Amino acid sequence: VDAGVDAGSGTGECVTCGDRASRMRVLEVLELQGLALCLDGDGSQRAVETGLLGAVAPGDTLLVHAGTALAREAGAGA
Amino acid sequence: VKFVQEFRDAELGRGVAGQIRSLVESGSHYKLMEVCGGHTHSIYRYGIDGLLPPEVEFVHGPGCPVCVLPMGRVDDGIAIAREPGVIFTCFGDMMRIPGSRGSLLEAKAEGADVRMVYSPLDALMIARQNPDRQVVFFAIGFETTAPSTALTLVRAKTEGIANFCCMSNHVTIEPPLRALLDSPALGIDGFIGPGHVATVIGAGRFQFIAEEYGKPFVVAGFEPLDVLQSVHMLLRQIASGRAMVENQYARVVPWEGNARATAVMQEVFELRPEFEWRGLGVIPRSGLKIVEAYSSLDAERRFGVPGVRIEDPEACQCGEVLKGEIKPWECKVFGTACTPERPIGTCMVSPEGACAAYYSFGRYARERGVAV
Repeated sequence: VDAGVDAGSGTGECVTCGDRASRMRVLEVLELQGLALCLDGDGSQRAVETGLLGAVAPGDTLLVHAGTALAREAGAGA
Repeated sequence: VKFVQEFRDAELGRGVAGQIRSLVESGSHYKLMEVCGGHTHSIYRYGIDGLLPPEVEFVHGPGCPVCVLPMGRVDDGIAIAREPGVIFTCFGDMMRIPGSRGSLLEAKAEGADVRMVYSPLDALMIARQNPDRQVVFFAIGFETTAPSTALTLVRAKTEGIANFCCMSNHVTIEPPLRALLDSPALGIDGFIGPGHVATVIGAGRFQFIAEEYGKPFVVAGFEPLDVLQSVHMLLRQIASGRAMVENQYARVVPWEGNARATAVMQEVFELRPEFEWRGLGVIPRSGLKIVEAYSSLDAERRFGVPGVRIEDPEACQCGEVLKGEIKPWECKVFGTACTPERPIGTCMVSPEGACAAYYSFGRYARERGVAV
């Protein structure tokens, strides 16, 4: 488990509709689709929409809500 | 690793709690509303209320989107889900929200094709994979979630995916806050502001609370130390007689918000003349509908939903809980007829709902003086 990101929906928290975002780490940028492959704290990987942030890079920590990255956490990282 | 474990440090937490106690004036009472259901969850999951002096009271606000959804909208969604050939998609918690004649989960058990998705993009993927079916996404949430729906609709239009549409139940945060502030009987002394809504609309959008209503407001993160520090900042404002917007969550929240997110929302959505909120009634210009340019992707136009309005069950007191008038455990059916396994009210469904948070973490027992 990556301690720098949040666990997935198995924690009992509503990560999809509670207006709460989760931290995910960018593993790979899928430029053609405007998506990034990201990792959550459960070790699960998901394609995340990054259209609201502009360019992202592997290692960035993003706040992801409903499959869309809303913000980049300033200064966060391993 | 930064910004996770540091904000869960118990020793630091006790230190901030001590600083909070030093700001509390004897004989005073501080009523602080946490607007977002995510904060409610953090407060009870981490036992933050137990660290604070009894003079500090948390009041749970209307910021859990599934909790404020009226039964009529659930019935409208179920009506669409029962249409032949429809694949109806929604977030997990939405499946169990009771309508007047059952939930989406029960509709699924009776044969409707209802599927849980993590994101609207997942629903769009289902539409791509099932070109002979109509795929509907039931969209709920505040400004945190609306950009995700908007981006998905832009993708659907760009790609010409004609078998996809959304039923928008998106709402905005400012109108219910004004409605609460216009009810002076509630007597809120300060607000713990919704950190992730603020990533989209910006901390500055909450200045009306300080300027027009004279109330302190602190945009807060969701870790235990975030919440404790926000309480400290609120009490410091109160002690010095100030009312302003402060941004405790500056590591994520920009003062001006996310311009790309607000732009895509403006492209896809416009304000409805009015929208019904559970517990708060009809609030003008508080809901988002899909604009004319995207009308072909609007499920309400494609299917002609019934548009029913249903009163809440008589026993349910979610409305009073959502307005902070009563604590969850003061509801007549809390923990007896209404539990997370068989919820009557919306506040018991989502883990972010105030009733579910109290139920799951045993606070109701402590506040009643019963051994937990």
